[in-house]
Amino acid sequence: MNLKTNRKALPGILGLATALFILASCASTAPTCAGPQSKNLNAAIATAQSSLMEGCHAHFDRYYDDLLAIAEGDPKPENKRAFSEFLVWASDKGLLSNRQAEDYYNRFFNVKFMSLKGDYNNCSHTCPNRQKVLLNMERELEEKERGLLKVSLDNEGYYRADQLFQEVELVLEATCTACAAGR
Amino acid sequence: MITAARLRIPVLLIAIAMFATTVSEANTPTIRLFPTTVVEDLRQTGNVARDMETGLQEVIGKLDQQQQLYEESKCDGAEEDAGCQRLARQIGASYLDMLTIMEERLPDMEHTVNNTRQSLEKGLRIELGKKMTPWLLQETLIGGNANNATAKASPTLRGRSGMRLSERFKQYYQLVATSGAKGDQSLAVLASDIYLDMEETSLLIQRTRQEIARATLMEQLNQSFGIITPEMIEVVGGVKTILFGDEESQALVAGPPPGSVEQAYRSPLEQ
Repeated sequence: MNLKTNRKALPGILGLATALFILASCASTAPTCAGPQSKNLNAAIATAQSSLMEGCHAHFDRYYDDLLAIAEGDPKPENKRAFSEFLVWASDKGLLSNRQAEDYYNRFFNVKFMSLKGDYNNCSHTCPNRQKVLLNMERELEEKERGLLKVSLDNEGYYRADQLFQEVELVLEATCTACAAGR
Repeated sequence: MITAARLRIPVLLIAIAMFATTVSEANTPTIRLFPTTVVEDLRQTGNVARDMETGLQEVIGKLDQQQQLYEESKCDGAEEDAGCQRLARQIGASYLDMLTIMEERLPDMEHTVNNTRQSLEKGLRIELGKKMTPWLLQETLIGGNANNATAKASPTLRGRSGMRLSERFKQYYQLVATSGAKGDQSLAVLASDIYLDMEETSLLIQRTRQEIARATLMEQLNQSFGIITPEMIEVVGGVKTILFGDEESQALVAGPPPGSVEQAYRSPLEQ
């Protein structure tokens, strides 16, 4: 009776052992997802690309941040292009959607604010959330300071973004006051 | 009446100066923020302000002279002296004259300011509030020159101008009257600025009018004692600042440092 029971349990034990073996094998080959070590932006981008393709795509944010930090060490206008090409590559490889790639690029390297988007009119959409919108714009301005000023040496672009922020603040204050008065 | 001293209209000295040198843009504005009624209201407000200044200039000049005489006669601390009391009464009478002139002129001022405010309010609500999404508003403000950073001529900062009240409105009028040559981005900022200015001015005129009655009564009582109160001196100082400007307020904001010229790159991801 005991022998019969053992024979029945054998396939289960073998299956469990196989699963454990497979899991152990996976653990030993998992990518480390270490950040790029080179201080050269192009080399760092190449390292990041190969890591991202080897299963580290969940760490995209960290890699982008690492690359920005490396670029800050050697700021120049050409860095803008390098980041654009890196994001286009990430989008082509399916690591990012096109919209995500645009967002990553524009938040750091464009004068316009991605946080000031919306499909509805300002009276109904922007004004009720004005403080939140302005807070998000302020955060984005810090990202632009990093991308435009510290990475790309685009002083004019950064000051224009800063000016745009102030203009939006003023125009929204007036527009939202006018919207509220018309209710 | 102390609030009268706070009746200072934040205006765009820097912006105005920049505007004066702005090269006119060829594009025709597509948003209508300054219909002819607003232009006319601004002109009218400037005229009313000028009339008020003219009326007050004389009495304020007289007050200055009387105050100087009071100080030179060493009347501070000698209030019991009959001569000093007479001088104090004269100063009080001039002060009452000033309050009376303000009381007469302020309703006109309030009326024209309110007209301008209401016209701008409607324009802002419809053109920027209801016809635009936040992204479109941003594009309007940036004027299609996001990468050229040419919008340094746009007015952005609000602040007291340190110039005569009538002069401020005259400049507003000139800016608006020739606004057809300016880009939409400048118009939106200009309209917002004038509107918020009018909003604040309207409120302060309202409060000032309420206070004038009280201040007049107080001064009529003081007349019998021949006293100069610190409030009187403060109010006169405030009115002078409002009408004839305040030199301390002419703070200039430094411009941005020159940027890199190599910024021609445009990413395909850029929006």
